[in-house]
This record gives sequence, structure tokens and C-alpha cells, in this order.
Amino acid sequence: MITVAVVDDDRMLLDGLGSWFGGVSSLRLTASVATVDELLAVMPEPVDVVLLDLVLKDGSRPVDNIGRLRAAGCRVLVISSVPDRSRILSAVSAGAGGYLTKDNDLKTLVAAVEEIAASGTAHSPEMAFACAHDADPARPRLSPKELQVLVDYASGLTLKATARRAGISANTAKDYLDRVKAKYQQARRPAYTKTDLAARVREDGLGGF
Amino acid sequence: MSGAYGGAMNVGPGFDAPATSGTGDASPGDAPPGDAQSGAADCGAIPDSGPDPDAGSAHRAGEVGGAGEAGAGPWTRAAFGRGVDWGAGRGEQRARSFMILATLLYRASHVVIAVFAVQRPVSDRPVDWLMLGIAVVCSVLVWGHAVRSGRFSAARVWADVVLVGAGLPVVAVVWGGPVELDSFGWVILLGTSSSAAAGVALGGVEIVGAVLLMGASPLVLCALIHVSPSILGSHLISLVSSGVMAWVFWRYLCRQGRLLDAANARALETEARRARDAERLAHHRALHDTVLATLTALAGGGVDANSPEVRERCAHEAAYLRRLVQRGADEGPGPGLGTALERAVRFAEGLGLRVSAQYQALPEVPPEVATAVSDAVTEALNNVRRHAGTSRAYLTAAGSADGLLVTVVDRGTGFDPRRVVPGVGLRSSIAGRLAEAGGAAQVESMPEEGTRVELRWPA
Repeated sequence: MITVAVVDDDRMLLDGLGSWFGGVSSLRLTASVATVDELLAVMPEPVDVVLLDLVLKDGSRPVDNIGRLRAAGCRVLVISSVPDRSRILSAVSAGAGGYLTKDNDLKTLVAAVEEIAASGTAHSPEMAFACAHDADPARPRLSPKELQVLVDYASGLTLKATARRAGISANTAKDYLDRVKAKYQQARRPAYTKTDLAARVREDGLGGF
Repeated sequence: MSGAYGGAMNVGPGFDAPATSGTGDASPGDAPPGDAQSGAADCGAIPDSGPDPDAGSAHRAGEVGGAGEAGAGPWTRAAFGRGVDWGAGRGEQRARSFMILATLLYRASHVVIAVFAVQRPVSDRPVDWLMLGIAVVCSVLVWGHAVRSGRFSAARVWADVVLVGAGLPVVAVVWGGPVELDSFGWVILLGTSSSAAAGVALGGVEIVGAVLLMGASPLVLCALIHVSPSILGSHLISLVSSGVMAWVFWRYLCRQGRLLDAANARALETEARRARDAERLAHHRALHDTVLATLTALAGGGVDANSPEVRERCAHEAAYLRRLVQRGADEGPGPGLGTALERAVRFAEGLGLRVSAQYQALPEVPPEVATAVSDAVTEALNNVRRHAGTSRAYLTAAGSADGLLVTVVDRGTGFDPRRVVPGVGLRSSIAGRLAEAGGAAQVESMPEEGTRVELRWPA
């Protein structure tokens, strides 16, 4: 049994996930809250996986949220409405185990939670696409093979098909993807890239009015 | 790019449904990765691309389409990157080419005069032939290089100035013996075309130096033989005027060329802005017809918000908004391509397929390319819906220095390219259209591992 908590400020989504997970025997939803502060206050012992909405209304920084949950002993699956590349990369660097857009179906979501609970990482095409098309000059250096696996997986191929294209086993392909993720986590890119910063400023500006 | 991902195929004649031919040569599943004979369903229309240099696999994906630049016009790779850059400096280069041609004709006329002068029976001196040879060799060195590379080499022009313009008159008198000017008029004539070349190829101070040098050598002649001052004067004047005129023409044309370049760039920028505005307008209309209509209907309360149809429709609208926001965040695509891809996605969604689309740095492409890519994507998504046995497809489109790469991928049933005859859908709608627009398409599949359609532009 994997214990799961959801941090999202969208009430409808919390309710929806609650009823979704109710039908999944392998998962137990222990908390549905709107902020990380709230979760840390109500959580007696760390849950296995926290589903964390990337942008919360309380203005907390995604990178800080991920860091605090990791420090509390939880693994983090980031969920978001929009695959914003620079934020995906920041989240991965900050220690998120995976990244999914909210339009994925229950099966994909459960599979990702299970993978993160088991191995700490759930790969998704969105996350791979963000890494594969990272235009930041400070991006981690990837080998040609790593890049090929990344691009193919990002295009939507299954891990097996990705591996077959590269002429390697599925396990090796997963190793490549893990390695890319590890490189991003080691690189500890600054919390905010330029575009992220610009987006932040825009938000702040809008928030101020 | 190894073809180890199951079979790949040359999309040739006849595929629409992945109907297996059934006359089993090999069973679908038993092709190990990298099987030497697995794969390419050669359909005869397009030759196989040959062995893949990539290690590990013996066959590679078939490619369709050609390197043809049909309809590509000025949109070659140079015109590719972001923003408007259709070869800045093109006008300036035209000016340069024109000046090269003009001075070449000038020098050619002098060489022709020289040939006639030298082969006259009265002047039967070996040194004349030597001088003519030097002049011809220098001319070839200077203008041959200039025509090939599109610009004068200053070093070569200096060599021509020193050897032909300043050297030959001295040689003519010193080794040819003091003779009347009549017999080597052609020699000092060559100097005027050297002067013209110098006017184009050299900087201001250098031009003055070159003309002075070429003017000084006839003065030496004065000391050796008698040359009437009026003839000498007219030679000096033609030297100077050739240089000055060439310089003035060159400056003028160069300036006009730059103005033309700037005007062109402005016109293209305006055109691009107009296209962007048109796209924004199209988006607003689309929002009005879709998201707004759905929300309004829901707000009205007359419909059952939990019915499958309404939820399906909401999911489509949400997906549309998501892509719209994402494209805005990630330096939106050039006008045209993004809209065209969006059209393809919406069409497929209208037929019940869920498409997860990711775009990155979409380049500006000619309208016919955007249309061809969009049509091919529509057809590929159509094939997913009809044959893949899955309701989900993945579309990625990314621009890079090499051009545009679009993939349509599903995780469905796939098929064995060795046993499937490609039909009208793949052959004409995907491969044919891409090839017409100067791109290429490639289809790979494997039973139970889905299908991958790759579109590239340029090919």
C-alpha cells in the first residue's frame, strides 16, 4: 500500500482525485490540502508520494515546495496544467521524481505514483521533451546516445520501442533516462531561469493589481 | 537512427490499412533487434537508403520524399532561423558581382587590343609575347578568383597593379628597346583596367597609392624615350579617372544594395507581423467558437455537465487551451506552422483521438510546407485512430538548425512493415505531399509497439 497526499489549490481537482484514488486498491490517499504548509502541519508521518501542483495560489516557489517535501521524507510527483519547460526543468533539478500534466488518465497517474514509490523516478514524455529541448547554455552535457533515447522517449514512444530504436535493452534505455535526470539534479540549476523569472515578474505584476 | 525499432518501411505504393499480406515469410514477433534481413518493406518505388552507419542494426528506416527544393524558393536553410533573415547583404553582393563583371569586361577589352597589337608583323619582339603572357596570367588570377569567390582579393589586385600596371611599361621600354610609343600603347592601356580593379577592391589610401605607382612608371619612360607630354598626360588622366569612376560606381551601388536589403528586411518583417496578427485573430475566433461556446452552454445550465459528450468536449477545449498557453510560453511558433498543426490536432480530436502535442521553437516555413506538414500529420493521426487500436497519440514538432522535425507516435498495435503493403494514405497523403514541399517522411512500426511517423523539412 502506497500512501499518497495531494497538494493543489483547485478544489475540484482534489475532489476528483479523491474519488479516482478511492477505486485504486494499491494507493491510499491520506491528505488533500491546498498548501505545503498545511500538509506539513497535518501529516503525522511522511507519505510515500506527494502529488504537488506546480503553481500554488499562496505564492510559494515550486522549487521551495519540492525542497521542503523532500526534506520531510516524501517523494514528489509534480502535476501541472501546462507543460512549461523551464519549470519542469527547475522542478526536476529541485528533486521532483516526475512530472505529469493534469490531462493524463488515471492509469498513467497511478503508474507514475507506483514508479516513484518504487524507484524514486517516473519518466514521462513531457519531462523528456523538456530535457531534450533545453536551450539553456548551462544545460548538463548529454551523450549522443542519451540524447537519442531522450528525444525518442519524448516523442511518445514506449520505453520498449525507444530501446529498440536505439538498439539497446529497455533496462539500459531506462538507465539513460535516469542518468539524464540525475545530471539535472546534480547540475542544481539556479531556481529560476530567465524565462521563469520573466514569468514570475509577470505573475507578481498581475498579483499586485 | 538505427532501424532496430522493429521494421521500417519505404512508403511506396498502396498502404492504407495495415492489413497483413498473410503469405507469411517470417512471423511478426521473431525479428530480433538488429536482424539483418528484417524490416524494410521494399515497395519498389523508392530505393532503400542503404546500410546504416550506426552500429547495432543492419537495416535502416526507409525514407521517402526527396531532397527537391520544389517550391522552396528563397526559403533555403539560410533563410531558416528565427526572425527575418533572407540573406542580409544580398543587395551588396549584387553590387560587388556587378563591379567584378564590369571591370572584367574592361580588362578583357584591353587584352583583346593587346592580342591584336602583339600579333602584328611589325612588332615581332619576343618580349611582347612575354608581356602579353604576364598580363593574361595576372588577369586570370585576379578575375578568376573574384568570379569564383564573389569578391576581389586585395593581394591579387595589388599584384596586378604592380606587375601589369606599373611593371609592364618599364619592361616594355627597358627590355623591348627604346621604340616609339606607338608599338607599346597597349601596355599602358592595361594599367587603366588595373586602376579600375583597384578602385573597387582597395581602400581609399591604397587606391591613391596604386594610382600613383602606376602613374610614376610612365614618368620613368620619359627619361628613357621621348614621349610627348600630351600623350603622357592623357594616360595619367585615364588612369586616375578609371580608378575614380570605378570607386564611385562601387560606392554608389553598394549603398543602393544596402538600402534595398534594409527595405526588403522591413517588408518581410511587416509581412511576418501581419501574419502573426492574422494568427492571433484566428485564435480569438477559435476560442470564441470552442471554449467560449462550451462554457456558455455549461453556464446556461441546460446541459448535463457530467454526460460523456460534454466531458469529452471539455477535455478537447482544455487540451486546446493548454497548447495555446504552452506555445505562448515557449517562444511561440512562426505564423503558419503552429496554426496548421493545431488544425490537424483539432481535426483528430474532433474524431475522438486524444493528442498530446508538444512544440518547440517552431521555425517559419513557407505556407505550402506548413500545409503539407499539417496534411501529413492529419493523415498520420487518422491512421492512428483507424488502425492503432488506441485513443491516444503523441505529436511533437521541433525546429533546429537542421530544419523541422515532426513526429506522430502512438503506443498501439503497430504492424509488421515487411508484411504490409503501404497504401494511398501513407504513400500519397504523407510521403507524396512532404516530398512535393521538399521534405521527407519515414514510417516505422513493430507489432505491439506502436507506430512512429517522422516528417522532416527540408529533406
